[in-house]
Formats: sequence, structure tokens, C-alpha cells
Amino acid sequence: MPDRASQLEELIRRAARGDGKAFTKLYDQTAAQLFGVALRMTGRREIAEDALQECFMSAWQSVAAYDPTRGTAMTWLMTIMRNCAIDRLRRLGTRPEGHLASEELLDKLAGTDRSDRGAELHALQRCLDELDELPRKAVILAYLYGLTRDELAAHFAVPLGTAKSWIRRSLVRLQRCLDA
Amino acid sequence: MKYEDAELRERLAAEYVLGTIPRLARQRFVRLVADDPSLARLVADWTERFAPLDTRTVAVEPPIRVRDAIRRSVLVDTRETIPRWQWRASLALWRSAALAAATAAVALVLYIAFSPAPPLPVVVAILSDSNGTPGWVAVRGPRPHEITVGAIHPLAEDAAHSLELWAIAGGVPRPLGLLDPQPSRPVSLQVAQLPSRGETLAVSIEPPNGSPTGLPTGPVPYKGDVLISSP
Repeated sequence: MPDRASQLEELIRRAARGDGKAFTKLYDQTAAQLFGVALRMTGRREIAEDALQECFMSAWQSVAAYDPTRGTAMTWLMTIMRNCAIDRLRRLGTRPEGHLASEELLDKLAGTDRSDRGAELHALQRCLDELDELPRKAVILAYLYGLTRDELAAHFAVPLGTAKSWIRRSLVRLQRCLDA
Repeated sequence: MKYEDAELRERLAAEYVLGTIPRLARQRFVRLVADDPSLARLVADWTERFAPLDTRTVAVEPPIRVRDAIRRSVLVDTRETIPRWQWRASLALWRSAALAAATAAVALVLYIAFSPAPPLPVVVAILSDSNGTPGWVAVRGPRPHEITVGAIHPLAEDAAHSLELWAIAGGVPRPLGLLDPQPSRPVSLQVAQLPSRGETLAVSIEPPNGSPTGLPTGPVPYKGDVLISSP
């Protein structure tokens, strides 16, 4: 049995040759995970549905451009999904009240909970933990919920410049830590 | 803004993946990435760095109507794709649509047929005016990363303006190059990314050296949907 990643890659290769059935199969195997991410980011079911549909339509259109040397099939789809969700959030300019995770959940996502397996996740958590508390939360919020710099500044009640430099410095530190 | 600075490129790639680039800058960045493989590499690296965070998100089964909608469009698309053996039929179709321009069409096909790559030309798109009259035909080749675009019938030459070809994906135009209004002079354009299904090709009227902004600035008299998927 080939592993899931190479199965998905094979489906993409077949879809690139115009095989619509293979593309539908790709949808069946990945949509739930992508929809979870769309729901998390947009916080609204109808927007998440639209974003998911747009994601797969644009995946279908660019399926021939998929390059396995640049990342796994799932990473490729996830990138498209995040783009569609972010574009929708930016166009709407608003997000639902009370959508953002509680501090507790945020801490869990940010890495204080150690129950997960996976060396990659551990490495990312370890590096996130090295950041100061507020910049770390800002990075996590931006990634998980698609917050803009302005929204981050408002959320933490800090000047825009502060939010910007948190992000900037955190990314440099993360890269150094992860590539070490 | 200069995009050659290594630190800036790294930061933009990271903030793009994180999602904190403002909307317009984000759209600009997407266009840059399309033509810059090393920038695309940086984006891919940052995507992989953050990807583990998504593994914690609970999967949710989407409603069946999303699947149905996607299946429908995929089916329509695969039916509309022109297999190579149908090339002659499609050739006849657009040639008859532009009957008066038959000579020009033949000239273009001969030009392609005698260029180094021997296979039959694959039509990328036929661009028509607002009345539906075909004005341009775009075919793949002759070299791998090229398309060749020729006028089907002679169009007015005008030294004060140029005709610029665009590929439009998701509402975002990317310039492909300037065209020649004479059917006897089809233009081969190098394209970083072959236009593919779902995109539209369009011709706009621009100042003599093309659009100064990187986006169409004048009227767009010709448009056509891309008929092929990229190889």
C-alpha cells in the first residue's frame, strides 16, 4: 500500500491529465481536513463552504502546475485553501463576534500541550515556545485565524508598530530556531 | 519597492504565509511569486514550517453540495477539453467562423507546422470581439514554454498604440507580451507559465511600448477562454 502522500500525488498527476474522477477522489480524501481549516479561519459555515469550493476550483485550474518537489500534495491544497479563506476574510473586512479561540485553547495550540506526536509539530512548538508570550500568541493568532496586523494590534491593545515588529522579529527567530 | 533584497524577500514570503500582508500588497506579491521561482521556493519553505499547526485542527465533513458543485464544473471542463485528434474539427470551426480570414489562418498553421516541434498545433484560445467574431488565435509552441499568437484577419496598424496580450487568472491579469496586428506576422511569446483551463486570454490597447503599469490600461477589444490544461 502506498502511503497517503504518494496516493494524493498520484491523484493530482491523473487530474492534471484531465481525469475528473481522480480529482473528485482527491476532494473526497482531503476536503474534510481543508474544511476544518476553512471553518477555523473564517468562523462562519457559509463562508467556509464558499472558500472550500473556490479552493477546489482553483486547484482544478492549476493542477498541472503542482510541483511535488516544492511540497506535499496536502501542503499545496492547504496553501490554496488558506489563500481562499484569507481573501474572503479580507474582502469581508469583518469577522464574527467571539470567533477567536479562548486563551486556554490558544495556549494549547501555541504549544503548551505536549500530547501530540510528530517530530515536526514538536520542533515548531519548541521554537514557538522560545518567543515571548505576546509575540508568540500574535503569530499563532495570525496563522490560525488570518488576523491582519491591524487586528492583531487591536486584539492586544498595542500600537500597530508594536504588532508589526512582534511579527517581524518572531519570524526571524522562528526561522533561525527551525533551521538550526 | 525593490524586491531584490534577500532579507525583504524572506520577510515577505514569511508574512505572506502567515497572512499578515495587507490585501493589495498580498495581490502584488502573488503576481511576483508567479514569475520568480526562488521566491516561490521561500514561500514553500515557510508553508512547510507552519504546516504542522494545521494538523491540530479538527477535520469537519463539508456538505455534499460543495462536492456536487465541484464535480459538475470538473465534468463540464473535461468535456470541453479538446483532445488532439479533434484539432482538425476545431480548426475547421474557427476557420469557418472567420471565413474571410482563411488565408491568414492557413499561413499561421503553416508557420507552426514548419517550426521545429512536429506535433499538430494545440489551440490555447481563440480571442473574439464583442460580436463574437474571432480576431486572434493562440496556439502552443513552437518551443515548450512558448505560445504563438496571430491575428486571424488584418487589424488596423496604429503607431500611437500597441496591442498587449494578457492571461487573466482569478481576476488578476498578467502581461504576456505585445502582438502584431498583421496575420502574416504571428508572435511567439515566452511564458513562464502556460495559460491553462479556467484562465482567460485578452488583448488590450496600450501605449506604444505596452502598459506602463503592469496592468491593462486601455480598452480590451478581444477575449477568449483558455481551452487547454497545461501539460
